[in-house]
Amino acid sequence: MTTKLAKFPLMYEERPVSILVLPPINTTTAADAKDYYATTIAGPLAFRGFYVLPIEVTSDVLKSQGIYDTETIIHQPVAKFKQFFGADAVLYTEITKWSTAYAVIAANLTVGFHATLKSTATERVLWEYSGTVVVDLTGRSNSGNPLADLIAGAVATSIATAAADYVPYATQTNVQILQTIPVGKYHEDYLKDQSVTFVDQTPAAGIGKGAGK
Amino acid sequence: MITRRNSTLIASVVIAGGFLGGCVAGPKPPIYYYGSYPRTLYKLKKDPSPASSAKHQASLEEVIKVSKDKNLRVPPGIHCEYGYLLWQKGQRSDAETQFNLEMQTYPESVVFVTLVLKTLKHEPST
Repeated sequence: MTTKLAKFPLMYEERPVSILVLPPINTTTAADAKDYYATTIAGPLAFRGFYVLPIEVTSDVLKSQGIYDTETIIHQPVAKFKQFFGADAVLYTEITKWSTAYAVIAANLTVGFHATLKSTATERVLWEYSGTVVVDLTGRSNSGNPLADLIAGAVATSIATAAADYVPYATQTNVQILQTIPVGKYHEDYLKDQSVTFVDQTPAAGIGKGAGK
Repeated sequence: MITRRNSTLIASVVIAGGFLGGCVAGPKPPIYYYGSYPRTLYKLKKDPSPASSAKHQASLEEVIKVSKDKNLRVPPGIHCEYGYLLWQKGQRSDAETQFNLEMQTYPESVVFVTLVLKTLKHEPST
């Protein structure tokens, strides 16, 4: 276990107010994960007290400047995001898991993100954390007839998997990850949450560190 | 006073759920109201159409209205996103009103909103 101050002292030093969320980097095979990510991060980040630049609008402005994805700019300096966007920090997210694992009679939905907040003033990493949510989608049946239950369960599972709505679980993952961030100026615990504890993660392959993936 | 309409709003905020993390000692009112915004944004991205766009616009308008009614700050970016949408529909004057509201509510947004306007007017950003 560690505390917010021990793990993320730079947040209390730099006190970023405004955050620009870049399009996520998708390392999964789910083609649509990137598009839906934006709908699940803005609210949780705003509730943590930060000014979050509107993501859809930001994405359009970036495109008009020739920036279509984060992969191409990830190793570039972030100072221009302060100059042109007024952002104190940039949030990079890697989608590490966005999948349903399906085995006829059982299914899980898994969402995983790794998030990194980088200062536009100093280029330092201010905060970094990752999280995964696994949801059991297995359909269940209880008719008393084991074979009928198995079949009904399988049908229910396949329906649940096909209709799996990632949005609430992706949102939940973001809320979870953001529990560890020192809160921003609009939060009532601003500059008062230094001793909040959480599990210390060793950021293994963080953004830009797992080069060649 | 909790009327039936209020309680439905409150229930839908609680069920919308995932946004409300970190409640510590007893339920405190959340600092923002988002209504159906995440839902309609998701549907707009999944199936872009005039219909899903209209629904998302209605969500934005509702967030702004309810925030005012509840004396809450409109969430970050909402005025800006609404203004951007209005501009695309040719309602430039109303759009500029929204952009100004964003800058008034969040002074840290001035550089960004200025950039958005320059981009919309196809002006160079430097």
